[in-house]
Amino acid sequence: MNQSYKDTEAGEEPAVITLAGVSFGYDPEHPILHDINVSIPQGQWVSIVGPNGCGKSTLVKLLNALLPKSAGEITVCGHTLQEETIGDIRQCIGMVFQNPDNQFIGQTVEEDILFGLEGLCLPYEEMKQRLDLYTVKLGIDHLLSKHPGELSGGQKQRVALASILAMKPGIVILDEASSMLDEGSRDELMGILRDMQAEGAYTILLITHDPDEILASDRVLALHGGSIAADVPPAQLFRNEDLLEKCHLREPYPWRLARELQNRGITVDVPASEKELIDTLWPYNFSK
Amino acid sequence: MNERLLLGRSIDTGSWVHKLDARSKITGMLLYVVIILLSNSWMEIGLIAVFSIIVMATTRIPLKYFIKAAKPLRYLMLFIFIVQSLSVKEGDVLWSLGSFSLHEGGLRLGAFSVIRMLFLLTFTALLTFTTTPGKLNQGLEGVLAPFKKLGLSPDRITLMISIALRFIPTILDEAQIILKAQASRGADLKELPLKEKARMLVSLLVPVIASAFRRAQDLVYSMEARGFRMDAPRSRYHRLRWGAADTLFVAMFVVLGIAVALL
Repeated sequence: MNQSYKDTEAGEEPAVITLAGVSFGYDPEHPILHDINVSIPQGQWVSIVGPNGCGKSTLVKLLNALLPKSAGEITVCGHTLQEETIGDIRQCIGMVFQNPDNQFIGQTVEEDILFGLEGLCLPYEEMKQRLDLYTVKLGIDHLLSKHPGELSGGQKQRVALASILAMKPGIVILDEASSMLDEGSRDELMGILRDMQAEGAYTILLITHDPDEILASDRVLALHGGSIAADVPPAQLFRNEDLLEKCHLREPYPWRLARELQNRGITVDVPASEKELIDTLWPYNFSK
Repeated sequence: MNERLLLGRSIDTGSWVHKLDARSKITGMLLYVVIILLSNSWMEIGLIAVFSIIVMATTRIPLKYFIKAAKPLRYLMLFIFIVQSLSVKEGDVLWSLGSFSLHEGGLRLGAFSVIRMLFLLTFTALLTFTTTPGKLNQGLEGVLAPFKKLGLSPDRITLMISIALRFIPTILDEAQIILKAQASRGADLKELPLKEKARMLVSLLVPVIASAFRRAQDLVYSMEARGFRMDAPRSRYHRLRWGAADTLFVAMFVVLGIAVALL
């Protein structure tokens, strides 16, 4: 029996994504995903975790029909996924992929952001307004004429994010979007995601292996062997050693440090962040 | 890297050529290619050279960029020069070795062909130097629009060109990485004999092509995720506007063509 996210914690917001009995496989004998049932409310930040090859990327690609489901029903923003609704669903979902190079369509930053906007058949004024708004918001307004080869990994991911945010999707999916970034760029991306969460206008689905990113989310879907092994809040995931091992995950650094200190007889509560850990340890007066 | 980045890159100096409609520049370049291919005397090539240098100078783009545009094909030009020089047996014999002999007429034709190709490469680079890729695509779509009736899809062609231009530098970089990876395992291409070099290049092609397919798959996902559908209607951020300067620009090439024909 799977561990499931409590209904009360799921919030009262209406579900923007619902998967009912969804399966997928290239070979029906060996499904990659099997009987996935999940409901995600508006505004929630969900981390999708699991070992490599467990079907995380496949799961999110089913949502906007980049891959066709084998069975079950998918509903996104009130549209049941079928041939006629693919266009509507793709307008609701923005997706940032792992490799920033392979998702850069235009030959300049400006062209790349305009690619999606032109596809929406927006008038010039609307495109200009969105281009200005999101390039300033993501700090890439000085890079508009740059070629992808002239950008850093972090800048490319910010361009990718601006490209999809400019299309105003309600749901943003990031498929290991920070895995090819350095620490600084990763922090930048996390900062942007936190701002987006604070705005409350986005439902965020984040595929990740990073404990800090998982800790920042509201909820974790742990995939194992093609099905949902756990649907829990992050704190619950990190308290479950079996689940951590199953998902090939480690606890966040402050958690590990707190546990080591507990093992040595120092009583500290499990902190939510490094700052909280420092605040907890400060009374021990390390100056002695 | 910078040299490769020149591929499809515009260099904005705000000159009058930069401000022209991309369609007029494409039309002008097509006429230029025809004119230069039809030229067959030093007088004609001299006239084309004067015309080309004046137009290139008015773009205010430093000459070194135009030279760099021709640099990748320098070996091809050298090959053309040698083949042309040795195949024409007209005029005085300047040099001979066994069955090979270099005649004055051959040398003249070799030099003529290379100069013609040099102007073709440097002058047509003006199109990409003075036009952003987006406008160039739109211009190409505009020029190809009449062929829609013949079943041609301008959108498809321009998308292919745009993606090719976007990914050529990336794939070249990847080929370099694979070469270095192979060299780090003792198979340095530079130190191998020619036959081994050819064999190595085949082993380079497989990972590069496999990677290009992977990139193509990712790109398709990225495009589809942004709602892209082939032949679906799209609005345009940059609008093309044909003005008097565009008519004048095309007329300049027409006049050049007439002048070359009359010479």
